[in-house]
Amino acid sequence: MTVRTRLLDREVGRALSSVSAAAKRGLGDPALAELVVIRASQLNHCAFCLDMHLTAARELGVSERQLDMMAAWEEAEGVFDERERAALALTEAVTVLTEGFVPDQVYARAAAHFDEGQLAHLIGLITAINNWNRVMVSRRIEPGGYPS
Amino acid sequence: MTTAHEAPYAPEHSPRLDWAKHAPEVYKAMVRLDAAARRGLDPTLLELVKIRASQLNHCAFCLDMHTKDALAAGESVERIIQLGAWEESRHFYTEKELAAIELTEAVTVITDSFVPDEVYERAAEQFEEAELAQLIAAITVINAWNRFGVSTRMVPGHYKAGQHK
Repeated sequence: MTVRTRLLDREVGRALSSVSAAAKRGLGDPALAELVVIRASQLNHCAFCLDMHLTAARELGVSERQLDMMAAWEEAEGVFDERERAALALTEAVTVLTEGFVPDQVYARAAAHFDEGQLAHLIGLITAINNWNRVMVSRRIEPGGYPS
Repeated sequence: MTTAHEAPYAPEHSPRLDWAKHAPEVYKAMVRLDAAARRGLDPTLLELVKIRASQLNHCAFCLDMHTKDALAAGESVERIIQLGAWEESRHFYTEKELAAIELTEAVTVITDSFVPDEVYERAAEQFEEAELAQLIAAITVINAWNRFGVSTRMVPGHYKAGQHK
């Protein structure tokens, strides 16, 4: 596997970071943010992003059990609480837009656990990791560059 | 007898959430990102990219906005309509536009697969490296606007050409 290009305009990179930072700050739940980011990166097959965020999640104390069961969270009873499950369902819907809209029940489930400010930032965070997934996968940036 | 022509349209829906009001720092960063990603790209090509990504992501608000902006900038109705079937209407577009549209599809639908080598290579033949990096950034940014538009159900129909320029 060869990296296609490492080029990314400096101002683009800075603005991508600002979107992520603002969304994460507004959500105010770093462990939940890592769950969201990891699930989106799984769906988008971003090796660099998975490597980076699995490391970050472990540093934050996210359990190995949650990380192991993430790809099957719907069937993993007792591993994720209702708020986490609502956030993961929204993450999947907002990430896989090409297959349909964001269903009302998925949105309503998220709105039951997050107030409007948190929800706006959660949508921002899902969008922000989708941004990184796209710029990393398109350029085929290799995993492992993230310092642990 | 009532004809379809006389029947009233379905009622307009409401947005789910005014996300920019609730997350103003995220919105400001998105506007900065948008401005940074469009630098160095041909505006005509960029609108085609934005319309095609918005079609794939089913973003009604984004389609309203970008088709109006494209038409106001002199784009033809034919080229906008044919975008949905560009593979069979290649003679409406330049080779450079076709490479960009194909890359747009691959980068937009990454949940289905990676970005195929042949798609990337065709784009790399038409765009030099820095321009290609900007194109990838621009495709990413319209995907981001599509996500905000669809998830908060922004309402199409009210955009005036040039309003967000």
